Amino acid sequence: MLFNSLEFAVFFPIVTAAFFLLPQRWRVHWLLFASCIFYMAFIPAYILILFVTILIDYVAGIYLERVEVRYKKPLLWMSIVSTCTVLFIFKYFGFFTGSFIGAAGMFGWQLPTPAVSIILPIGLSFHTFQSLSYVIEVYHGRQRAERNFIVYATYVMFFPQLVAGPIERPQNLLHQFREWHDFNYENVTEGLKRMAWGFFKKLVVADRLALYVNDVYASPKSCNGLQLTTATVFFAYQIYCDFSGYSDIAIGAAQVLGFRLMENFKTPYYALSISEFWRRWHISLSTWFKDYLYVPLGGNRVGKARHIVNLLITFGVSGLWHGANWTFVIWGVLNGVYLITGFLTKGLRDRIFNAVGLREDTLPRKVIMLASTFTLTCVAWIVFRARNVNDAAYVFSHLASNWNFQKLATEQFHMRQFPVAVGSIIVLELAQWVSRSVSIPSVIGRMPMTARWAVYASFVMFVLMLGVYKQTQFIYFQF
Amino acid sequence: MGATTRQIEVLSNVSPEVLLERVEEPRRQEERELECRESIAELPARSSVSPRKGVQRLVSFCFLIALLAFAVNALVSVGIRHIKTSSFGAWNQMMQGRVNADVIISGSSRATYHYDPRVIESATGRTAFNIGRVGSQTDVQVAVLKAYLEHNRKPALVVHNLDAFTFVTTREIFEPAQYVPYLDDQTLYESLRPFDPNLAKSRYLPLYGYIVEDMNFAWFTGVRALLGRSPKEDYFRGFCPREKEWTDEFERFKRGNPHGVSFAIEPKGVEALEQLIRLCQQNGIQLVLVYSPEYSEMQSLTNNRSAIFSTFKELADRNHVQLWDFSDWTHDDDRDYFYNSQHLNAKGAEAFSDDLAARLKDYLAKGSKGQPGGFQVSISQLSTAGHN
Repeated sequence: MLFNSLEFAVFFPIVTAAFFLLPQRWRVHWLLFASCIFYMAFIPAYILILFVTILIDYVAGIYLERVEVRYKKPLLWMSIVSTCTVLFIFKYFGFFTGSFIGAAGMFGWQLPTPAVSIILPIGLSFHTFQSLSYVIEVYHGRQRAERNFIVYATYVMFFPQLVAGPIERPQNLLHQFREWHDFNYENVTEGLKRMAWGFFKKLVVADRLALYVNDVYASPKSCNGLQLTTATVFFAYQIYCDFSGYSDIAIGAAQVLGFRLMENFKTPYYALSISEFWRRWHISLSTWFKDYLYVPLGGNRVGKARHIVNLLITFGVSGLWHGANWTFVIWGVLNGVYLITGFLTKGLRDRIFNAVGLREDTLPRKVIMLASTFTLTCVAWIVFRARNVNDAAYVFSHLASNWNFQKLATEQFHMRQFPVAVGSIIVLELAQWVSRSVSIPSVIGRMPMTARWAVYASFVMFVLMLGVYKQTQFIYFQF
Repeated sequence: MGATTRQIEVLSNVSPEVLLERVEEPRRQEERELECRESIAELPARSSVSPRKGVQRLVSFCFLIALLAFAVNALVSVGIRHIKTSSFGAWNQMMQGRVNADVIISGSSRATYHYDPRVIESATGRTAFNIGRVGSQTDVQVAVLKAYLEHNRKPALVVHNLDAFTFVTTREIFEPAQYVPYLDDQTLYESLRPFDPNLAKSRYLPLYGYIVEDMNFAWFTGVRALLGRSPKEDYFRGFCPREKEWTDEFERFKRGNPHGVSFAIEPKGVEALEQLIRLCQQNGIQLVLVYSPEYSEMQSLTNNRSAIFSTFKELADRNHVQLWDFSDWTHDDDRDYFYNSQHLNAKGAEAFSDDLAARLKDYLAKGSKGQPGGFQVSISQLSTAGHN
């Protein structure tokens, strides 16, 4: 079920009302049932795959606590391999066999292509990682194994964050299913406001920009440099608003029910360096990779060469997590290269800035750093968005050529759409800028009730009237 | 005491490896916990509003939003119905029974962009109006013609434009917002509903038709109209001249379809055209089926063109209907007259309308002389059917 669907508009109030009306002992069962309905709205049979993943890690968690020390590690690996096998079969089988057959072809071995076409279960990478984080935490003794299957299944399947995160840690979420959640008016309204902001990002900004981006990236060779550049900048905002909008709706929906989810984005385009960008972008995934891959590899507490290799591995795997395509791998590695170049050249850059009189914390220096970080990010997004490596190379090489201001619109995206698209980005940036120093909800909250309701109602109508509602699945669902 | 016992129990279950790790990485753990605490949204501890009052407020707010949605929907519909210009103006004229023309042109965008009723009027001395709908298939065109007949005096003649995709049925109604202000019209609604189940939502859910089903801000046009700002006039008695030069659309189409394309001949599509023929015959309206000019190169790229035209001819013969084929029109290979393979530009439309009007004039004159009060002329006299 999509958050931006009529079905969810009916589903969510019913689930919420019933949740608060039910006695405590039935609430988790109700949440699990609701989550099953939510998930089964996509492809019902795929719930069995989810069930398999849940069962593997539920059993593994219990046995990780019970077995002798020497069996813990093999058991952990068994659990990880089994869970990842499900992910591999559904997400990477086609990619790896295709790549293998392609590579074999280069050596003159013509292998038959397997006639298997598998539809990726929605959000598989998200709940797989959430499940893995549980067994790893249990293995390390930082989390007690959950004995109640219903509670554990709800932890993996909790519908607000089931298909696109945030990827939660058991320490944060699991215990909340055992707690009593009062109907708290402030909680509910704060959650609803957060959801409304998420809907603005998704429906008004991301989905409007998607119309343009999809047109251009579907056929980049028929576009001029201006269209390619505009589409790339639009995509930077589209993917941010699409994914952070989803996270806002997820966090808000959970908050309405009285649950706390972790923050996933912190205005990433305000980052002054690529490393800062990654501390602000998809935080739940970045910290997952940091804790469960980068640090176990040795992190930065190793020699320089090994540190570089660790970074490249972490970002390469992160790229592959995003999709079974070489474009995603290149995107991940490119970000790793950015980071490595960043820390290798930090001293040099500091000296250059100081030499031209731009000391740390001066506005011009910050502007230059912000602009260069945003530009580098946009360059990486080109590889991420392009259908294949050839398209990405074409976009790169034609960004600066043939800027035809007479031909900015595309077939689906007429000139009349530009004011709304650009205006919505400005509203977003203004709100984010103001939020750095003032809490907008608090300011509105201090208004008299009539004025407050007028503001809320206007915002809801604004989102309703300017949103795009067709063909709008969340980008991150595919991961 | 109990807590201490539990701690000892937990520690005794923890492996030495884990304990070692804990000793080695206390800072990392602390950092992680701090990060976790910082990253989790804080929730208000206690509410100052009772649950009962809270629910009342939430329900009231939802009610306010619903009320606003109904009000805005009504205002937008009223605004759109008041428009006198553009395609909305042409549609309003028709739905409000202010057309009542002798000659009606129906069809898709090729009808809207190709047939100038003003040229037909001056050549034939009969009033004419174009009710072509952009992006429509024959089944929707039947619905539009039914709505026209419901609200206007029956015309003497309907000129129906044919396309290569005439027998393809509607999967989804194109730009449904144009129909939304008139979905309370039972004839129109009942005729259109089979093609789009979402039409019921557009009719009964406020704003659904304007915001979910529309990407062109029709609601904004309606609001502007309420404030007295009409859209630019680009429709003349339902005809919309396209002041465009040849675009690269056809070249892109050729690149994408190097081996040409085939358009389905769906039984339901054939039935839709027969329904249109029957509708005219039942109402005593003369019908001329016209295949208006198509860029010559595109004709050879339509792989099943002869099958499509055989079906046109078979239908026309069986129902004794005129079929005029302009496939071999004088300028069919001249890009000055088209802006893509399917559509004439303003210059092309003017030239074609002249040719068609001259032919209609002859047709009407012969019909009048031969059969009083009618336009009956044998197919062999005027039809150029049987192309390819």
